[in-house]
Amino acid sequence: MKNKIVAKKVSVFYGAKQALFDVDLNVAEKQVTALIGPSGCGKSTFLRCLNRMNDVIDICKVEGNIEMDGYDIYDKSVDVVQLREKVGMVFQKPNPFPKSIYENVSYGPTIHGIAKDNAHMDEIVESSLKKAALWEEVKDRLDQPGTGLSGGQQQRLCIARAISINPEVILMDEPCSALDPIATAKIETLIDELKSSYTIAIVTHSMAQAARVSQHTGFFHLGKLLEFDSTDKIFKNPENKMTQDYITGRFG
Amino acid sequence: MNEHIVKSFDEQLSILKNTILKMGSLAERQIKDATEAVIKHDQEFVDAIVGKDDRIDDLEKDIEQQVVNLLTMRQPLAIDLRETVSAMKISSDLERIGDLSKNIAKRSRHLNKDIVDEISKNFSAASQKVQKNVKLVLDAFINRDAKLAEQVWNADEEIDSLVDICMSSILKCIEKADKNDAAACSQLMFMSKNLERIGDHATNIAETVYFLVTGNYLEGDRPKGTSDLVSGK
Repeated sequence: MKNKIVAKKVSVFYGAKQALFDVDLNVAEKQVTALIGPSGCGKSTFLRCLNRMNDVIDICKVEGNIEMDGYDIYDKSVDVVQLREKVGMVFQKPNPFPKSIYENVSYGPTIHGIAKDNAHMDEIVESSLKKAALWEEVKDRLDQPGTGLSGGQQQRLCIARAISINPEVILMDEPCSALDPIATAKIETLIDELKSSYTIAIVTHSMAQAARVSQHTGFFHLGKLLEFDSTDKIFKNPENKMTQDYITGRFG
Repeated sequence: MNEHIVKSFDEQLSILKNTILKMGSLAERQIKDATEAVIKHDQEFVDAIVGKDDRIDDLEKDIEQQVVNLLTMRQPLAIDLRETVSAMKISSDLERIGDLSKNIAKRSRHLNKDIVDEISKNFSAASQKVQKNVKLVLDAFINRDAKLAEQVWNADEEIDSLVDICMSSILKCIEKADKNDAAACSQLMFMSKNLERIGDHATNIAETVYFLVTGNYLEGDRPKGTSDLVSGK
């Protein structure tokens, strides 16, 4: 098992407030790593470090070392746009652009100059929508606005948008929290399929979801990574009492 | 262990644990009574034992319902999951213990005093040991005691050797027995085998308790009796 991302002693500060404390965490290649923990524990902050989303917050300072395929992603020479081309992200609330379904998916390849010509772009849009298990539902109305789709479809559109530029890593920040169980099941099926091609890190508040979709799970609490292990171990027999209290609903 | 945020979850788990205990103490009692029935020659006493088995069966169904409800309502994880799954396994072992005890009681109807006098000492000795193991494994369950569970697991060998002694004495009886006595002796063979099977269920429960407490499985081969009579090797 190869580690796609190796994070060492990662600390994050929002101004004077420290949000993450010396987090060491590896994200295994072509597997799903789940980050769990109560609200405000730092799991989303950590996820956002992995594609330098925290850079956009002025008062945010990241310390420590995060390497992807052995390269320091916080090195001065790293082009953040290129990094985010490799590390895509899907958010809690589906956020399609106020454009057509087609344009939502073609936007990334356009700005990154991936498509050779129109035919190639059509191919990219189709294959991305297929990989996101949305093609059959939208193929006859690609020119209609993405915002007109249902919540679950919008989220799959966002996933299609994320994979349209062929990233290596997909970060998901509670991708199903706004979705009904059917849409959730579709996204989870998708995660299962996507993991053969992509490395996935997912933040979720659903213990059952983490148990279902991930192979590794990290438990965060008050900015610290308290336990990191195989998902099997975490949900059947965690070592840390805090982990056990959290996942069994004993957290006071 | 801290309490759950949802109080009714704790209540459900506590009711589940108490139901297992109730079932366990009934099963324990059935082994004791069935062993007494061997010596007593009392039809009414045997009928009473047979009747009480229904109560154990009902409790097994009750536990199954509780477990299904817990799985549906709570989606238990970690210790709660092990607790829930273990309850189901333990209850099915207890149900079997109840059945095997009932069977010992029923077969005792076919015995006569002479035969009983000859083997009762050995049969009681094996039964005492079985009862002790069942009691200890239930203690291990109540107190969440993995070490005690492991002890019970290892003690199954002693049951096997006591059952072996008992079976050998029955064989000796058969050698000199007439047709009627031989039939009684073959009943006794089954009854002894039942004791040994009850011991095995106690060993199953020991494994379950160990898993429940530690989250790990007991390592190594299960202790087994060495005799052909008991193990059928």
